[in-house]
Amino acid sequence: MQPILKINLTTGTTEEFVIPKEWEHDFLGGASLAARILYPYLTKELDPLSPESPLLFMTGPLTGTSGPTTGRFVICGKSPATNLWAESNIGGFWGPELRKVGYDGLWITGKAQSQSYLWIEEGRLEVRSAANVWGKDIYEAQEIVREEVGVKVARVAVIGEAGERGVLFSSIACDHGRMAGRTGLGAVMGSKNLKAVAVYGKKKIEVANLERYSALRSEANITLKQDNEAKIIHETGTAGVANYAGYLGSMPSKYYHQGEFEGVDNISGSKMAESILVGFSACQGCVIACGRVVNLGGGESRKRKGPEYETIVGFGPSLLISDLAEVVRLGEMCDMYGMDSISTANTIGLAFYLYEMGKVTKQDTGGLELTWGNFMVVRQLIDMIAHREGIGELLSRGSRQFGAAFGAEDEAVQVNGLEVAFHDPRGVSGMALSYATSPRGACHNQSDYFFVDFGHTNEKLGIEYFDRHAQAEKSANVVKHQDWRTFFNSAVMCIFANVDPQMQVDLVNAACGYEWTLDDMMKSGERAWNLKRAINNRLGLTAANDKLPKAFLEPYKEGGAAGFVPDLPEMLKAYYEVRGWDHDSGKPSKEKLVELGLENVVQDLWG
Amino acid sequence: MSAIFPSEEWLKGLEVKLNSDEKYSEIAKNWEGDMFIIMEPKGNLKEQITVYLDLWHGKCRKVEYNPAAAAYPNPTFTLTANYEDIKDVVTGKLSPMTAMMTMKLKVKGTMGYMMRNVPTVLDFVRCMQEVTTEIL
Repeated sequence: MQPILKINLTTGTTEEFVIPKEWEHDFLGGASLAARILYPYLTKELDPLSPESPLLFMTGPLTGTSGPTTGRFVICGKSPATNLWAESNIGGFWGPELRKVGYDGLWITGKAQSQSYLWIEEGRLEVRSAANVWGKDIYEAQEIVREEVGVKVARVAVIGEAGERGVLFSSIACDHGRMAGRTGLGAVMGSKNLKAVAVYGKKKIEVANLERYSALRSEANITLKQDNEAKIIHETGTAGVANYAGYLGSMPSKYYHQGEFEGVDNISGSKMAESILVGFSACQGCVIACGRVVNLGGGESRKRKGPEYETIVGFGPSLLISDLAEVVRLGEMCDMYGMDSISTANTIGLAFYLYEMGKVTKQDTGGLELTWGNFMVVRQLIDMIAHREGIGELLSRGSRQFGAAFGAEDEAVQVNGLEVAFHDPRGVSGMALSYATSPRGACHNQSDYFFVDFGHTNEKLGIEYFDRHAQAEKSANVVKHQDWRTFFNSAVMCIFANVDPQMQVDLVNAACGYEWTLDDMMKSGERAWNLKRAINNRLGLTAANDKLPKAFLEPYKEGGAAGFVPDLPEMLKAYYEVRGWDHDSGKPSKEKLVELGLENVVQDLWG
Repeated sequence: MSAIFPSEEWLKGLEVKLNSDEKYSEIAKNWEGDMFIIMEPKGNLKEQITVYLDLWHGKCRKVEYNPAAAAYPNPTFTLTANYEDIKDVVTGKLSPMTAMMTMKLKVKGTMGYMMRNVPTVLDFVRCMQEVTTEIL
């Protein structure tokens, strides 16, 4: 691997961190390797918004190689929203560009004396004044930075106003609205007075066996182009599943309190494809191109980013809005301010729900009426959150804190401070475990198990189909899926890469010169999953944190999931058995840690 | 009506089922599209079999067993799988969604239309299963 560039913004000093070979082999790259690197530094006492807090941008061994969906990178640290492990995965072109500079990662600590951005080329690093870009939205800021550095094709990772102001669900963006949205790392970047990181490189990205890799890459990309799921995602975007999710009752509406939504057909990916879609956008080397380019026409005739599933459901059914054009506008507002659309929509949804309950009043909202479907109010709330004004200040802290402020923390649909995405475990029960045990709070990407509950099995990995309402019998299956997806996050590969697992292993072997087997791949995922768990245990997480919000334990009265609730205690019991975790403390057992080669963690967890 | 799957008699039985099943009629009331189902040789099936169905607003307007491809040049969908996998679908051993998501069933056509109408697809498969009593 290439080294990681360490930058201390307080002192202005840099050094190259060379990754130990055994870490590379055991953790591969991406979020897994980041967990190994940051393990000693993520302490309970560390304030995520302090200068000491690390912000680690990591690529993987396949990043920028034009392998199947391998244009991605990941950003890691300690989350200001959850005070736990933070990772957020993002596409675009920035990750490959960093590797072309000659680094596989950027490890940023400290705090710049004034508002700044970084400009990194081969053999050159400048800390520049961000005076002209501070306060600008994520698109304009990228353009200004490119103009200032004088390289039109430089790639820029950037925060918006939300990150500058410390909104706890701020994102980091790059390129055409690609977002590292989850866990609030935009706020960490803002706390360092860092607006952007611009990179431009010319180095060739090396792989160990180019001939072998090229042949595999070609085969994988051809297969991926023919894949049914890839075709669905290309044609309809990620929101192509909206109709089916609505049918199953796994697409929540009215802030997770209504099991079906009549207007689903108005906001689905199919509808978008038939109406406002004018183009596609792709990350580096991706043959799927899930990104939507839309044009609302009329007085707003311009090309703009179209929303993906989470944004559509968050600002659509969850707030009882069935106007696709308005969902596009609300999603775009979040992007421009640099805010995670899942957490933004979820927290606003909670405000609407508490308003209906009478716990939040017009006095609290400054006169705003938080009535379902009222998108004009949603627009105002997004503005207020980004500027941390009025009730926006409370909302900017996320749903857990917002709920607590009104004596209703249990109404917040979140786990450990991260707002739940829009895949309801009452419709697809495997998501109960995905949310409850994810290392970063309620995350749908650490294991997008809803796809397995839809029917997406994998024979080679032994990931079988269980009924979407099966309970503890599917726990072992969820474990396998989590381990596999953790491998994806180390590669760093998009979860839409429906590539044969043996092909994935072959690609890694050709790129890294390894002789991994499928078991090695799964073991690397398991190792990193347990290491992230250990990090969180050290940060205070226990078995009591593995829980679901109240809403998921109350059955829907209507729709495809009516009458069902997941039996989380039984699912967890089976899950802990398979994981080799201690039932009382929630920690990985000594034996499990040793089995995974994590001897260094044993002392820290068990004394 | 009982007939061995796959056969012309089986296809005729499916046509009757689709035109008499109230549940299918309701769920598929908005469906507009014809399709080929191509079964590639595997196991007991030694030669490729193609069936054609013209489905429209909850009814089946026409079926044809092993038609000439030129007779229907632009079907809305063409579904292709080997016989063993299709057999598993019609006997309920393999979910049609799993077949699609794992590429056991290849789909040519507008995927957005398919995703919008998954309940129709699933109920069509239910009808296939209910008319299947004997397997080749």
